[in-house]
Amino acid sequence: MKLAIQIVAVDPKVGGVLALGDRGTGKSTAVRALADLLPPIQVVKGCRYGCDPGSSGGTCPDCAILKTGKKIATESKAVPVIDLPLGATEDRVVGALDLEQALSQGVKAFSPGLLAQANRGFLYIDEVNLLEDHLVDLLIDVAASGENVVEREGLSVRHPARFVLVGSGNPEEGELRPQLLDRFGLSVEVKTPQDLDQRVLVIKRRDAFERDPEAFREAYAADNEALRNHILKARKTLDKVVTGDDLLRTCAQLCQKLGTDGLRAELTLMRASRAYAAIQGKKTVTTAHLRAIAPLALRHRLRRNPLDDTGSGTRVQRALEEVLGA
Amino acid sequence: MNLAWDDALWAAAALSVDPSGLRGVWLRAPHGPVRDNWLTELTRLHPSLRRLPGHADSERLLGGLDLGATLNAGRAVYQAGLLLQTSPTVLLLPMAERLPDDTAAILGQVLDQGQVTLGSSGMTQDSFIGVAALDEALEDEPPLAGGLQERLGIWLDLRSMGRSGGESEETRLVLDTLPELDMHALRAHALQLPVSDAQLTAMCQTAMALGVDSLRAPLAAIKLAKVMAALRGNDLVEDEDLGRAARLVITPRATRLPPPEEDQQEQPPPEPPEQDSPPEEPPTEATEPPQEPEPPAQEQDEPEFDPQHMAELMLEAALASLPADVLAQLAEGNKPAAAGRGQGRSGDRKMSFLRGTPMPPRPGNPRQGARLHVLATLNAAVPRQKLRRIPANSKARLAIRTEDFHVHRFAENSPTCLIFAIDASGSAALHRLAEAKGAVELLLAQSYARRDQVCVIGFRGTTAEVLLPPTKSLVRAKRSLSGLPGGGGTPLAKAIEQSLQVALAEKRLGHSPSLVMLSDGRPNVTLQGQGGRAQALEDALTLARQWRSHGLPAIWLDTSARPDPQAQQLAKEMGARYVPLPLANGSRMAQAVQAVQAGSAMPTVPSKLAPVWQKQAAPSTTPVWRNP
Repeated sequence: MKLAIQIVAVDPKVGGVLALGDRGTGKSTAVRALADLLPPIQVVKGCRYGCDPGSSGGTCPDCAILKTGKKIATESKAVPVIDLPLGATEDRVVGALDLEQALSQGVKAFSPGLLAQANRGFLYIDEVNLLEDHLVDLLIDVAASGENVVEREGLSVRHPARFVLVGSGNPEEGELRPQLLDRFGLSVEVKTPQDLDQRVLVIKRRDAFERDPEAFREAYAADNEALRNHILKARKTLDKVVTGDDLLRTCAQLCQKLGTDGLRAELTLMRASRAYAAIQGKKTVTTAHLRAIAPLALRHRLRRNPLDDTGSGTRVQRALEEVLGA
Repeated sequence: MNLAWDDALWAAAALSVDPSGLRGVWLRAPHGPVRDNWLTELTRLHPSLRRLPGHADSERLLGGLDLGATLNAGRAVYQAGLLLQTSPTVLLLPMAERLPDDTAAILGQVLDQGQVTLGSSGMTQDSFIGVAALDEALEDEPPLAGGLQERLGIWLDLRSMGRSGGESEETRLVLDTLPELDMHALRAHALQLPVSDAQLTAMCQTAMALGVDSLRAPLAAIKLAKVMAALRGNDLVEDEDLGRAARLVITPRATRLPPPEEDQQEQPPPEPPEQDSPPEEPPTEATEPPQEPEPPAQEQDEPEFDPQHMAELMLEAALASLPADVLAQLAEGNKPAAAGRGQGRSGDRKMSFLRGTPMPPRPGNPRQGARLHVLATLNAAVPRQKLRRIPANSKARLAIRTEDFHVHRFAENSPTCLIFAIDASGSAALHRLAEAKGAVELLLAQSYARRDQVCVIGFRGTTAEVLLPPTKSLVRAKRSLSGLPGGGGTPLAKAIEQSLQVALAEKRLGHSPSLVMLSDGRPNVTLQGQGGRAQALEDALTLARQWRSHGLPAIWLDTSARPDPQAQQLAKEMGARYVPLPLANGSRMAQAVQAVQAGSAMPTVPSKLAPVWQKQAAPSTTPVWRNP
């Protein structure tokens, strides 16, 4: 889980994390911790969609107005980690007519929704497997295009919505549509530590935090800082990491063997392995990196037969042995 | 002394001290004197209790624009939401089991973060709430939404309690002095109470031994123990507090019995799920209330206590509060928690104000979750502008009155639930049970694609039992199916009765149930569980007619060796589509079901299953024949 989140923090193009596990295993906590780890981003001041001042044009309606001026004012903002609550209505997610302005001044204005807030950040969906289907459809569409197109209530707005999907859920309670599964780059299975000492440690830390939140934060500030710098460094070296042709071949072989649909599996596998290599400070991607990443990137793409209950993790392992062992 | 009531009072006291820290209580009790007494105590201890109406929409909960006031004033007027409480407050949630999922999600989020986000600005403000969820669900009804259950610290079950009263003198004393204490100081004191490593370890061990995986449970238990120690005016958390906290937090969440140890041989070991074995009597020591876990006097002298020993003591204390039927359930390996609820794909369409496919707007007040359709409202207001006068001091350019309001309407598909009733009797078991299982698996795969819920009922011998309550989890469905043994009589009447019960329960939840009956239609066990073919058939026919009178869709897959007129007659009485399948194999049977679906409606969209079956509710005259 930690590794997967670091990987998407390094390269958002990997495309999101799906965390599956029982309740109370710290899924949400891990995701929310993410915001602390990331360096603040530069945004166009006054832009409700948090656009990058460096990017040219784009589709953002706010920037279209703001950028016509001579100089763009920028401000730095924490990376948004937006919660999408289970019962959210479509209006809340995509945005809707601004009621306040419409009623008091008779002006037709768009009030951005959660997707706009999540632009350039993370969209966290708790209990993603219980999400309503029409919202799922909507998310799939936006996640794929990186753009939110609103055509409703007489409004016609399009704005950028590039975000990393982070979902969590309990597989016992219902399953995810394969289309949405495919949109998640990596998947992790989270379990409660079955080791007593670890459990006690968690409880103890939490207790310490509640006693004195300030002191607790300070005690871990150095660790956080170190991790943040590590991620920043990995981001910088990411472009320089070399992926050899033979490694790409291995990726393709692996995916072929497992019968994954589409090419997204290979792409994700390649990107995630590269990010992992960058985290480790290596210049080239090796099979060791691939081996570590493959279960995360491929596990959730195997569900061809929903009733086959051999763990897909083991199937990936087996295929890995076959392809790499040879 | 009535230990359970004593604990319940402690829970009320602790909750009134630190509602936001403990997150709240899930109180399962029918409406009655016991619950009323508990609530009276809580209200007395915590006068700032607020009631939270279950139908409150998100605007009411989180705050938002006050439409009426906005229109009158000509400028935006906001109202604060109920969930924003700047001082620690307990919110009372009546009829919690009927709480809509979206409201539960909002509540869970606010409880988790302790913050309310104001409007779309992204500003947050701290909120200190705890929720007292009053759950009146009956046995076969789904309880409070799982996500919210998990977050509420204390789980109280007063369903089996006949009468209240009988608390100990110490408890009475604590309760009586509590209203005079300074809550703020008490909370701060509780927070700083030290908890030893041994105590933490013991609590975690107890949770692990009872199969409580969530780490929220031991966290809440430790916090509760600290509050209770503070309530007693103590400077140390003692075993008495820990034991009580474990009984209120950990035990009710138990999913299994602790592994048997030397001194607990009487404990029934968790046995493999075998249908017929009667639940073993729980050990007597566990049902007898109280031996207080530990005399606290010894404890203070030696803070370095052996955690192993302490954990055992706490485990015992925890087990002491397990009611008998829970033990029996645990021994059978059943999880008490109900399956997840969610929205499915196909099914009856019903009107909704919140979600689904948009429909034309209609006049109405934007209350109870309905959203204002602004364009339609403006359209309605425009022609009447001449008639209305805008007050001179208002900046509004339009005069909008409440009669102009239009609201959004949506058509929502209600989730479908497929009930499989599988004949596992001797006659069927001989040659067809394996085939029937295979067929059901294939049907399950299809229903997975449609996002249906499935429910499996098996019948054999003298009983029909729900092997799998309605769920979307196919893994569980498959597991329950493979564990179904064959042999015995054919209690068809019982099976239909059971299916009807499940179907009606689903219907009450707003789902669309339909039945797939796999049987050879040769009942030989009556409703009373006695032998006798004639009477058994009579019973089955009666119940089949009952099924039909409810207008529920059904399909009958005849699993006998050759098409049987008796099964055909039963299907006809049920209003079910009859599909005889001589020498079926799994995939052929699944094909037949598909053929039936495709026969009368959209061949490419298998998700239109339910409407097709409803068309078949009239007795079908031409059965579909498939060549073997």
